[in-house]
Amino acid sequence: MPEDNWSLILQIFWIIFFIMIFTGANQRIQMKLWSIDIRNKLNMIRRYVEEDKERVSNFMRNLGLRNPELVLKKTLDFFTIEPVTIEPTDIIKRMDHLIRTSDKSFREIVKKALPSLGRYERSLIETGLSIVSAIYMVYKVVRHYLLTGEKENNWILLMQLELLMPQILKIVTAYHKALDAFTTGKPVGDGIGPLIAYRLIEEGEVVSKRVIDETSIYEVKLANRRFFIIKAEGPGSNVGHPGRVLADLVDQLNGNVDLIITIDAALKLEGEDTGEIAEGVGAAIGDPGPEKIAIERAASKYNIPLRALIVKMGLPEAIQTMRKEIYEAGEIAVEYVKKLVDRLTSENSTIIVAGIGNTMGVPL
Amino acid sequence: MIPLTGQDMIYYLAIIAAIGLAVYFLLETSRRPKEPETETKELLKCIKCGYTIEKEYSVGDFIGLVKDKCPKCGSPLKIIAIYDVVKKTPEKTLKPPKQYT
Ligand SMILES: [Zn+2]
Repeated sequence: MPEDNWSLILQIFWIIFFIMIFTGANQRIQMKLWSIDIRNKLNMIRRYVEEDKERVSNFMRNLGLRNPELVLKKTLDFFTIEPVTIEPTDIIKRMDHLIRTSDKSFREIVKKALPSLGRYERSLIETGLSIVSAIYMVYKVVRHYLLTGEKENNWILLMQLELLMPQILKIVTAYHKALDAFTTGKPVGDGIGPLIAYRLIEEGEVVSKRVIDETSIYEVKLANRRFFIIKAEGPGSNVGHPGRVLADLVDQLNGNVDLIITIDAALKLEGEDTGEIAEGVGAAIGDPGPEKIAIERAASKYNIPLRALIVKMGLPEAIQTMRKEIYEAGEIAVEYVKKLVDRLTSENSTIIVAGIGNTMGVPL
Repeated sequence: MIPLTGQDMIYYLAIIAAIGLAVYFLLETSRRPKEPETETKELLKCIKCGYTIEKEYSVGDFIGLVKDKCPKCGSPLKIIAIYDVVKKTPEKTLKPPKQYT
């Protein structure tokens, strides 16, 4: 090829290149590429939504519901409005009220549709529905930003979305996979708190048992000490109200408690190992606020030492079937709790242990 | 065929290198780390002698369920845990599974 042609081609190429840069056409091309990529990933989320809807529908159909579509339609768009935060007076009370009302309404929808069903199956359906509704919500929001970005040529919006998509997809995939555990009732990673509580109850000698507010309280004699062990009532998909129950219990005991230990699963940082155990101070509970503050208030009111034990795991591991590493960490944590109690209290003292988390698959 | 000059060679090389780079980056970004497949197991423990055995999970089983007999002493076995393990692929294992001590 003669040299003249080459330089002509190069000249044209550079001219086009500069025109594109000055007019922003290069940005358009990039935007188009981004929106194609986002669209592909969004379609993946849509497939998840369709698939999970089908699975939950089939699950309900197998349990005797003739048209599960109605229940799905009602629950998919169910929402709870957050309380006003610029006026903090009784925000906890208001938030607690809203959370409870929301839970209750959600449950009533399922109960109305399947009145003859047991609590256990209903709890699985409820959680299954809330998983589908969470994925659907993500789908709707991503779609909203994609369409807005395209419509208004907002390439910054699309760029942010494009950069966030892998993370969003990771979370959505985790939820999608979690449905398997929630339709079969296997314990999930988040259930490590209740599992440790269960193990402690089994090891000790049960003195009394109560169930308040979907939360079990076991009075257990263990290591010459009086233990009150709190966990969500199992084996359904349930987190209970451990904070409020613990606070009431402390009040009933007139504050004669020597130690409070909360045990929970905690999200690990990237790079940390799954199943790592860490000890600390404070209330280990990941609720929006009401339960946690109840524990903190009860402990500070009577000046009771408040200790926390966490088992670290990633989000997918927390909501999917419990991994063996987590179970093994739980076994270590049981011994850890006993050592902690031995170190911090003397014989005949009273100790409250709360195993926080979803107790699905873990009885008592 | 027109003989190639040195200048042409450079252009061709540049084009080939550009295409190579583009392909490399495309492959690099589209390759995702595959998640290991898992299967659910249950851990059973003998009520009497403490013998433990790991079995396949079957639907409907739950922690605390008493099922099967202990192969050692004949006492009933109780499910003490249900968990997921990474499916073992015999052909290639890069890293030995982590042990907790
Ligand atoms: Zn045995």
